[in-house]
This record gives sequence, structure tokens and C-alpha cells, in this order.
Amino acid sequence: MKKLPYIAFIVFAVLLIISGLRPERYDTDFDVEAFAELPVQVGGRIKPIDSVARNTLLIFAGRQKVITPEGTTLSPIEWFMDLTMKPEVADTYRVFKIEFPDDLGLPGLAQQGQRYYSFNDLLPHFDEIIRLHSEINPEPKKRSAYEQQIADLNDNLTLYHRVMHSLHPIGDAERLNRLVDEYMSFQQMVPAGMEALRKQQAGEDYDAELLSAFINYGDDYLKLSQTAYLRVVPPPPPVEPLDNWKNIGLELLDVIKGEPLSPYVSGYGALTMAYRNDQVDMFNQTVDELRLRFEADFPGEIGRVHFERLFNAAQPFYLSMLLYVLVFLAVCVSWLRWPHELSKAAFHILILAFLIHTFGLLARMYISGRYFVFVTNLYSSAVFVGWGAVFLGAIMERIFKNGIGAAMAAMVGFCTLIVAHHLSMSGDTLEMMRAVLDSNFWLATHVTVITLGYSAMFFAGTLGLIFVIFGVFSRNFRKNDARTLGSMIYGVTCFATLFSLVGTILGGIWADQSWGRFWGWDPKENGALMIVVMGAIFLHARWGGICRERGLACLAICGNIITAWSWFGTNLLGVGLHSYGFTDSGFFWMVGFVLSQLVFIGLAQLPWSFWRSDFGQDKSSKERKRILIASE
Amino acid sequence: MKALLKFFSSLKLTVVLLVFAMMLIFFGTLDQVQYGIWHTQKLYFESYIAIWAYPEQAPGYEALQWLHIPMPGGYLLGGMLLINLVAAHVTRFKMTWKKSGIFLVHFGLILLLISELLTDLLAQESQMPVDEGGRANYSQSYRENELVLIDRSNPDYDQVHSIPTSLLKPGKVVDVPESDLKIRTVRYYPNANIGRAQPGSPHDSPATQGAAVKMNIVAHPAEVTYDENSINTATAFVEVIAPEGSLGIWLVSNIIDDRFPPQMVHSGDQSWEIALRFQRHYYPFEVELVDFKHDKYPGTEIPFNFSSEVMVHHEDHTKNQKALIYMNHPLRYEGLTFYQASFANQDRTSIFQVVRNPGWILPYLSVLLMGLGMVIQFGIHFVGFLNKRSS
Repeated sequence: MKKLPYIAFIVFAVLLIISGLRPERYDTDFDVEAFAELPVQVGGRIKPIDSVARNTLLIFAGRQKVITPEGTTLSPIEWFMDLTMKPEVADTYRVFKIEFPDDLGLPGLAQQGQRYYSFNDLLPHFDEIIRLHSEINPEPKKRSAYEQQIADLNDNLTLYHRVMHSLHPIGDAERLNRLVDEYMSFQQMVPAGMEALRKQQAGEDYDAELLSAFINYGDDYLKLSQTAYLRVVPPPPPVEPLDNWKNIGLELLDVIKGEPLSPYVSGYGALTMAYRNDQVDMFNQTVDELRLRFEADFPGEIGRVHFERLFNAAQPFYLSMLLYVLVFLAVCVSWLRWPHELSKAAFHILILAFLIHTFGLLARMYISGRYFVFVTNLYSSAVFVGWGAVFLGAIMERIFKNGIGAAMAAMVGFCTLIVAHHLSMSGDTLEMMRAVLDSNFWLATHVTVITLGYSAMFFAGTLGLIFVIFGVFSRNFRKNDARTLGSMIYGVTCFATLFSLVGTILGGIWADQSWGRFWGWDPKENGALMIVVMGAIFLHARWGGICRERGLACLAICGNIITAWSWFGTNLLGVGLHSYGFTDSGFFWMVGFVLSQLVFIGLAQLPWSFWRSDFGQDKSSKERKRILIASE
Repeated sequence: MKALLKFFSSLKLTVVLLVFAMMLIFFGTLDQVQYGIWHTQKLYFESYIAIWAYPEQAPGYEALQWLHIPMPGGYLLGGMLLINLVAAHVTRFKMTWKKSGIFLVHFGLILLLISELLTDLLAQESQMPVDEGGRANYSQSYRENELVLIDRSNPDYDQVHSIPTSLLKPGKVVDVPESDLKIRTVRYYPNANIGRAQPGSPHDSPATQGAAVKMNIVAHPAEVTYDENSINTATAFVEVIAPEGSLGIWLVSNIIDDRFPPQMVHSGDQSWEIALRFQRHYYPFEVELVDFKHDKYPGTEIPFNFSSEVMVHHEDHTKNQKALIYMNHPLRYEGLTFYQASFANQDRTSIFQVVRNPGWILPYLSVLLMGLGMVIQFGIHFVGFLNKRSS
């Protein structure tokens, strides 16, 4: 009976995991999964269409689902299929998220309480959008929120148009329903068309009708080659992974040069025809053929592409985020009832969440082909900061068994994954690295170590917050607890200082290796140095007896501010070699975060008599005694 | 004396200095938005006192423009920290095993501070552009300038007489090294706008010789720029004085470079080219660029490789060397280090950063010491902590 709360929480966690890992069900007989796994080359790497569909939808809608006017919910890949193959239907889906439609300056667009709009909703306003867009500040960093909204809308509409043209030319239903015939007649026309062109230029008699039809095709495919977003056509085998792929338009144009048309092009044409005519068998068979062809051409890539789709579907970071919430809940309840059982449950769920989090990290490494490289951009740094903090928290929990380690781990893990989620809105999070940053050794050492330093700093800072909150508000917080918490903060800060120092210095060595300057006073370097100095201040203040528990907790909270500045703030300045991830709204979040931390530091400055905890009352009475003695 | 020593060795002083260091770094980062990295470095980290002023671009400048925050600069803080550290070790610390980690960390830190100072004083950075198939035997600074008189009379070599522009003070006369000539500076502008004199506007040019007279060029002083991507057009009017008397006044500027016909100074049967140019460092070897590669990821503008295949031809042929210079893989040669810095000219020219830094090895040593020290120190703490808990 005593075990019931433990069992309840564990069962709930396991149910969450199972429901998270259950494969997605599609309400159709089309082999959506196989289609999702077809490869494309975007941003310098080969990935499944599924990833493109998800990233594109995230950019438009900020979420990974589409609700049709009929109320059905579509997954990103189903939406993508409609967008490319049944564009007339996809144009009615509300996929464009507009945060403040009333302020856009497009009369008649905004609908009460509606933040999502379809292509067809926006269609009547195109001229106005183009006009508004031409008036905004061309310098992205100097745009107002309103101007940014216009710019985003314009960019999104362009991207929508380009993605739509990815698999074949777009036209009316009649054209889409006979794409394969179109390609066929185009191919047959090429020799005669070229001959007519030659004759025309030589001033001889030629077939004017044929030539004009031929030139029409040429113009159309030229436009398509400039519009089509995805590179879906690999070069004929044998192929290397870094060879250039072509988009549909380029491939069709090259037929004019006498090159044979790639079977991928007609494959996608056939897919579209089958999808439009509800020919399930035909569709599934064509997808299978495309997949087998890719498998034969890229035997080394197929496994990775397949894995990437499974990874996308499993969403391990989302799952661990849910579990972190559960851990936090379990700890909070454990402080009120069933302390033993629930803190055990919290610890075990934390380990589960940590394993899933770790799996996500490793999976990203496998997909990008960079082992031991945890951090390549701001997004992955957020994921890794969370991971490091959870790791530390789990160790703390193992040592102290008081729930604080687990709660803090859950909190930092959850918050950093939320930050990561928001950073992922801008597109692919597994983008390629610029040459100067492209060094697996340094990415694996410097960046990993310094990011672990951030983790530890945040962890210590969060413990500082707990100290202040418990100290001021909780009656149960005794002298002993204060001492334990103090030594936790101290231990984690030691760790943070060590990692920040080593990481910073490794960065210096990397800089010396790559541009001959050990130290350049670049903002990001300075930020890292500030963390080291913060750690040094904390340690010296403690060793010198300058600060006691309360002061040290405040210093740890200062560490939060410094770390946030180093991590995000320096990127806001837009100077230097490290400013790789500028984010507009970041500034407000940054200011908000700093203010919130200052509030807690201010709270800690309350005189001891206002502290409700045992610890505070004890201090308060000692202080009064001292004053009495002094006045006597 | 004892009180002084106590003050300088106290931990409180350490904490105060560290807090100032934090301030300095923070404001020294903020001001980079205005002044760029290089100038901010001079203002904050290579100075004794730094003053932060509320920036003009920031919101609320009208109300807050009085706001100036003075703080100790990098040299002062670094020096104080050094004194503090040494004093603490002399007075308070006893060498024990338990403190060995702290000793290592502090010793590494001292080494790091010294190496930074050495780098400030001794390191020299310049750039060497080389065309594919071409050779270069010099690199040039992109900030410092020099006034040169070049004697090209010998067919085997040119003789270059160089005067750094820091010696060009209006009204002052300096000797041209290894020659009978003297230079009197008439005007010197660290940055200037140069152009044809407009008809009707006041024609104010002291020049009596060279391009300024032939092409009717005038120079107006301009504000010095700290922008990383733009350069200062250093410009001077200089009078060349031969033993027999003045030869005239020339306008020289680093923007009047190889693209223009050389300006000549004649005295007796000798003649020199006169020019103001970015300071050059000549080497006893030539760097030949065999091949430059710039590869991008397919379908993106993201480069994944810049690399330069070079052949170094030394006067002493035994020192000839072949090398591939690419990102994170510089060439260390004759006390110099060559880094792949940039490229130009539709990927046909590679630009190397050439660094001479005699103290480059010191940070590596200090890093080892500090890392090791921290691991030892925290290791001792951690083991002690675990023992205490388990007992």
C-alpha cells in the first residue's frame, strides 16, 4: 500500500513514453511513411522529405500540425503531400501564423480570434503586402516588430510558393493530372525543337508551331528551375554524398542539352498523378521504386535518412520535457506527503528522462555524422545545457537524496528545452558548419566543455533561487538545510568554474590555431571570461569569509545573469566572430530574465526578521542579541 | 609597511578587483558596438583608466547623456591583481599538499597575465595577399602606415628607406635613414578625403611637386574610423630636403598606391620613388601560392573548406618548404605563423594572416597549469566531502 504513490507515478511515466514512441497513424492507405522517407538535398545534406515538411511548417505555423477547414488534423508530411500534389486543396489550409493580424495594415484580413490564415485568405492582399514590404527597413536588425511581421509574412509566402514547386511544375488540374505525358512529349520534342531553332536562326524554313511549343516549355522550366526549392534529383550513379543534386527545373532544362531525363523526375510526376486520382496501389508502387533506386545509388545514406524520420517522429526532446514536468510534480508532492516513495519515483523518472534526452543527443550526432560534437549552434547548445544540468542534478540527488537535485534538474532541463524549442522555429537545426568552425576536435572539446560550464552555472544559480525562496517563505527550512544547500551551491560552482575556465582556455587555443590570436576580446570570449571571473568572485568571497550563505546564494543568482548574457546577450550585439545566432525577440527575453533574477536578489536582501524560515528567524534573533550586546 | 602588505595581500582586495574586472569586460564588450573590437581593446584593456559613456544610439540618450562610468583599465587591474596575488603568496600562503592546486592555478594565472602583456607589446599582425601562381616576399599591416623612399637604381634589388608615420609630426624634420635626405612634415592626416579640387572652391594645397600638382588633387582631414571593414586613408604633405636645399612638397597617401604612376623625387643624378603606404614587413623568403581552394556545401553558400597550397622559397634553399594552409591548420615557419584569413579576386587570390608572436607558447603552458591545479584542488575537496559524508 505504501508503494502505491511510487507505482502510480512510474506507471504514468511509462504510459507517457509508450504513447510518445508509438508510431504515427495516418488515416489513409497511401504509404505516407515511405513517401516521408524519400531523400532530398537541402542545406548541404541529404535528408528525408519528412524533415523538410516539419521544418517548413514550423517556420510558417510555429507548430507541427495543420487543421483543415473540415477539422481534421494533418501531420506535417500529409500537409506537404497536399501542398505539392494537391495545391488547390492545400491553399485552403490555415498554415500562416500571424501574431497580430489587426496591426498588419491589411484591412479585411483579420478575423476575430484567428491567428492562422490560409494562402487563399491572403491572396486578395498580395499587392498590399508587396507594397508594405517595399517600405520596411532593408536592414533586418533595425526593423520594428511590425516591420518584422511584414517581412516574415512576405518571406513565408515566397517560401510557400517555392516549396510548392519542389516536385514538379505547378499548373491547373489538367496539367497536374498528366505530368508524365508532359515530360514524355517534351523529351520527344527536343530534337525536332532544337532543329527548328537552328533553322530559324539560320533563316531557313522551320515549323513555327513546334518551335513556339518548345520555347514555351523551355521558358516554363527555366522559371521552375529558379523557383523550385528542393533539390530532389541526384546525379546519375556512381554518386558521392557531397555531389550537387538538381532541382526539377534544372533537370528538365538539361534534357535540352541532350541529357536523359532522370527517373526521379518522372517518378515524382507519377506519384502526383496517382495521389490526385486516388490510385493507392500505383502511388505505393512508385514510392517503393523511388526508394529502391535511392537505396541502390546511396547505400551509405539510406540508413541515416530512415533513422532521421524515426527520430523526427519520436520527438525525444519533447518527451523528456513532459517527463521533467512529471519529475518536478513528484518532488513537489514529496515535500508534502510520501517523501520517501515519491522522491524515489522522481529520481527514477529523472533517470528515464535523462536517458531519453541522451538518446536525442546521440541521435543528432549520428544524423549529422559528427561524433562527440554536442554543440554546433544555439539550438543544440540549449539542448546540451539542459542535458548537463540534468546530469549534475541526478548526481546531486544521488548524494543528498532531498529532492532538490531532482527538482532543479527537472526545472533547468525543462526550461532549456523550451528555449531550444523556440530556437528551432527558424529552420533546420542540423545545418552545416562554416569552415572556420568546422573542426570536430575543437567542437568536441572547447564547445562541449564551455557549454557544460553554462549548465553548471545555471544549476548553481537555480539552487541559489531555491535558497532564497525557501529561506524567505518556507517555515520548514532549517539551519541544516541551509548548510546543505550552501554546500551544494559551492560544489556546483567549483565545477562550473573549472569547466568555464578550461573551456575558455581551450577556445583561446583554438583561436590561436585558426587566426593566430590567443585572445581577441571578442564579445563571446569576453562573456566566457565573465563567467570565469564570476566563479572566481564566488570562490574567493567564500574562502575569504566575505559572504555567508545568503550572500553566496545571491552571487550564484548573479551567475545566472552573467551566464545568460554570455550565452545569448553577446549574440544580440552583432559584433565579432562568434555572433552566429542573432535573435530579435531575444532582447526582451534577456531583459525580462535579468529583471526576474534581480527581483530574487532584492528579495534576499530583506532583513532577517522578514524571513519566515527557521533559518532566517535564527539569524534574526542572533542579530538582535548582537545589537543588544553592542548597545549595553 | 605591514598594513600596506596586509592591504595588498587581502582576499577582499581580490574580490573587489575581480568585480572591477567584470565591469571592465562588460562595458568593454558593449562599446564594441560603437568602436569595433580593435579600438575598444585599446580603450579598455590596454589602458590604465577607461571611461564608459552612455552611447548615442541607445534609447534615452537625451536624458542619460551625462552618464559616464569611470573604471580601472586592463593594465591597472592586471597589475593590481598580479601584486595582490604575489603579496598573498608571500604573506599568507604556506606551501602544503592541500594547497598545491591553488598554487598551480595562481602560477598559471600569473603566466597568463604576463603572456597577454607580452603579446600586447611584441606581437605583430599583418596580411599577405598572394595570387595563384604568384609570389610575395612581404606582408603588410592593415592599420600602420609608413613613408618610403625607394631607390630602384640597382637592377638586382631595390633599396627601401622607411619612416613610420608615427614620426610624421607637422613642422618636425626627420632624417631619412641611410641617405642624405631629410623629410619635413607639412601636414599629416590619419584619415582624409582625397579628390580633385572643385572649380570655385578654395584651393588649399601646399603641394609643389608630384601627382597633387599634375592632377590638381586636394586632401581634407576626415574623422578616424574604427569600423572593422573600412580603412583610414592616411595622408601627408611632406617636404623633401636634400643637402643642397628643398626639393619641393609632395602629397602622399596610402590610397595613391600601385594603381597610380609612381611619384618621383630627383636629387642630382639620384632618384627615388616616394610613397605613403601600409607598413610592409619584408622576409628573406618568398611564398608562392600554388593553388587556392574554396569549396561550398552543395546548394548553399556555406563554405566547408578554404585551403592554400603554398611553396616557400627561402634564400637559403635548404629551408624551402611545401605546405597546405587551411582552417585551423596554420603554417609555422621561421618564427612566423601563416593562417588562412581570407580570399579575393574570384578565388584567385589567397590572403594570409601573418603573425609574429614570440610568446605564443606561454598560454599553452599556463592553461596546463591552471587546468591541472583546478582538478587537483577540487578533487581534494570532493574526496574530502565524500569521505565526510560516508563517515
